[in-house]
Amino acid sequence: MAANRLLVPLSDTVTVRQTVGYAVQSGLEEADSLECHLVVALPYDGDVPEGDQQLEDAEGLLSRARNWVEEDAGDADVTIETATIGADEYLFGPRDYAEIFDAYADEHGIDRVIIDPEYQPGVTAQLLQPLERELERIGLAYDEAPVERSARHSRLAGGTEDFDRLFATFLISYGFYLVLGDPTYWFDLLTGAAVAGITAISLARVTFTVPLDRVQSPIRVVRFVFYIPYLLWEIVKANIAVSAVILRPSMPIEPSLTRVNTRVRSGLPLTALANSITLTPGTLTVRANNQQLLVHTLIPAARDDLFDGGLEKGIRFVFYGRESAAIPSPRERDDAEIVGGEEL
Amino acid sequence: MIEPIALQSTVGTVRFWAIVLLLGLGVFFTLVSTVGVLRLPDIYARAHTASQTDTLGAGFALAGVAVAFGWQHAAVYTVLLLFFVFITNPTAAHAIARSAAETGVEPVLTEENAAEPEASAERDVPTETDGETQ
Repeated sequence: MAANRLLVPLSDTVTVRQTVGYAVQSGLEEADSLECHLVVALPYDGDVPEGDQQLEDAEGLLSRARNWVEEDAGDADVTIETATIGADEYLFGPRDYAEIFDAYADEHGIDRVIIDPEYQPGVTAQLLQPLERELERIGLAYDEAPVERSARHSRLAGGTEDFDRLFATFLISYGFYLVLGDPTYWFDLLTGAAVAGITAISLARVTFTVPLDRVQSPIRVVRFVFYIPYLLWEIVKANIAVSAVILRPSMPIEPSLTRVNTRVRSGLPLTALANSITLTPGTLTVRANNQQLLVHTLIPAARDDLFDGGLEKGIRFVFYGRESAAIPSPRERDDAEIVGGEEL
Repeated sequence: MIEPIALQSTVGTVRFWAIVLLLGLGVFFTLVSTVGVLRLPDIYARAHTASQTDTLGAGFALAGVAVAFGWQHAAVYTVLLLFFVFITNPTAAHAIARSAAETGVEPVLTEENAAEPEASAERDVPTETDGETQ
């Protein structure tokens, strides 16, 4: 009998181990030899800030999964293939995933896809049901691995995490609606509640990709409010310095390209820092890659400010609190350097 | 909302001059930014000064508008406007700089970097070169 070829898409979930186990077991039940294709689908192309990190995670997951298969297979005749797919394109929705799985299946003569019920490759919402629908449409045979979920809430009933996201999205959109409208007029209050409700239900999971913390998240918002005047002051100072240089007839600019290794997490904190740097005239973020910012600076004063890391401290204060803000400047910890144009 | 009558008669003298000052500063920074875009050597340097229009130029102008409106609902809109300008401006500036980098536009850099061992391919600052591709 021909070998049974299975495709197992992996993502880092609590049930991935069980899924691999089920794939091996069910594959060996149907045929005496099994060809197990373990793949990780990368949601973004390798070029985004966290691309390298994701690729590394994917490789780690694949090598762990390979060990699991070997462990489960024992003496049975099992061939293992691993691959990362989708690295050269953006995978946007379940349809894209279904299509790359189908392409892979065609190429390797896959008989069946084993899906992890918690499969969640990207940062966005859970994918299982729409993915199954798309696989059905394409006509690719699939099988949902029966797994025991530990302490995960079921798919429909939301837990507190979901409630927090819904509530926060509702509050933000309702507040925005009322600022634009009239908070004392009953019609605006009513329509605003309806609109905010729809927004919250449809966009809560997209708005907040990381779970909110009931204590920390509001505190961060308050800290951010304190950060704004500081940022404005920095912007005014930098504007005056740059204006003075531009208006001088000799125009003493010293453009240089610098690289700064920041001590803030990727995602929102890094975005906030990169945007703050760009917002200040004299410094311009050209590239952001795994906490490394490539910053173009126009005048030495702006470069010195950047290397002193005032904005970095501000962002650390916003996201991690006062104690975390007191870190050495990028210059002191040797994380800032002037680089040549070929770094681009 | 606002009748087309002379502004000075509707607001006090201090407020009137505050509005004039704020609008004047807004115009000044926008002008500086325009001069900068014309004088600076390449696309990266120009992106720096283009953001001046959005930050202080628009900032002071909108502050003037807010003072002119006084304590009413429309003043809140100007703050919101400024908020969105402050979010979109760095995004656009970064997008321009990044796409320039991706298409291989080389930045004009000072010769100070030539002192560094690996940066041998640096050029001097030609003041009137366009930063576009070679």
